[in-house]
Amino acid sequence: MPFETALRLTEIALTLAVLQQSIEHYATERHNRGIFLVRAGLCLWLLVGIGSPASLALLLGTSMLLLYRFQGPYNGGSDKMTLLILSSLTAARIAPGQYAELAFAYLGAQLLLSYFVSGWIKIINPAWRSGEALRDVFRFSAYPVSEGLRRWADRPRRLCAAGWAVMVLELAFPLALLHPVALLVALTCTAAFHFSNACFFGLNRFFWIWLSAYPSLLWLQSRLIG
Amino acid sequence: MVSVILRLLSLYLPVLFPSWRFFKTVGPSPRVEYRINDSDWIECRHRPHHVGVGRMLRRMLWNPRWNEQLFLVSLSERLASDPDQAGHARQELEDRLIRLSEAPPGSIFAFRLIFLTREEHRIGMFIEYESPTITVPDNAL
Repeated sequence: MPFETALRLTEIALTLAVLQQSIEHYATERHNRGIFLVRAGLCLWLLVGIGSPASLALLLGTSMLLLYRFQGPYNGGSDKMTLLILSSLTAARIAPGQYAELAFAYLGAQLLLSYFVSGWIKIINPAWRSGEALRDVFRFSAYPVSEGLRRWADRPRRLCAAGWAVMVLELAFPLALLHPVALLVALTCTAAFHFSNACFFGLNRFFWIWLSAYPSLLWLQSRLIG
Repeated sequence: MVSVILRLLSLYLPVLFPSWRFFKTVGPSPRVEYRINDSDWIECRHRPHHVGVGRMLRRMLWNPRWNEQLFLVSLSERLASDPDQAGHARQELEDRLIRLSEAPPGSIFAFRLIFLTREEHRIGMFIEYESPTITVPDNAL
């Protein structure tokens, strides 16, 4: 995938994800709602594609304000990924030549690490290997979106298999860089994984923002190997 | 000003160099409860028994209540584990819970955090924090 195409695709996907976040925030917050209107406006500016470095820098600035306002990410990992993409894109749009590529490659590398490290820290934990950890997620964690889903904790074999499937997918993910088709298959599987997390645990923002970073890895694969 | 910049840096650096340690362990999990005028404790936004496929799909695009609920979980964990952030987390929880509970101005309000955890083969729970009672101010909502 050409560098400029990957940058633009990431910008468009990020724009839609941040727009969705901003509208949700506007609906729930009672104070300082103006900043979410500003962010929605900046998203529309970025979507047009004129003056991207300025709109990206301003979006990054408002993200920093929110990071301070909430004293950390509002929505955990999805806010972190939003800021990471914004930082990489801003640097890639401002920095010259190979430094721009370096900034964008950093995003691709972090996306890859997000899967591999998650898989690694699970597989070294006996509770994940036995399936007990995933049972606990369904049994008493704050994430299942309904009480009915907690009954899944009573299916230990199925959950153990699901836990292993996730660990194998995450750990094997870097191997997908070796071939473009393998990468497309791997990204389809991880997108399905995020989709299931959105359905069962309500993590809809993770789905949109992680998919926003996919073009960076498609470009990185073609830059390094393809 | 310097302290604000340093604080912002301390929040931003983990974003630039993330650890990606999702679900390293499944630790004690918080539930937020509140009461108004010495009522029984009420769980904040008790989750429904069932969420259908259509509702799950709609939530892909529109899920503000649940995302705020996840923020309450984050605040509860910060209040329980991070003394540096306890003041902000306590205030943020109080403001949001007063709004969500629709506690009327002048009423007596308190909240508490209960953590659920696995103890061998059963689920145990303990009260991690109970706020002092406050009188809900006129401009709270």
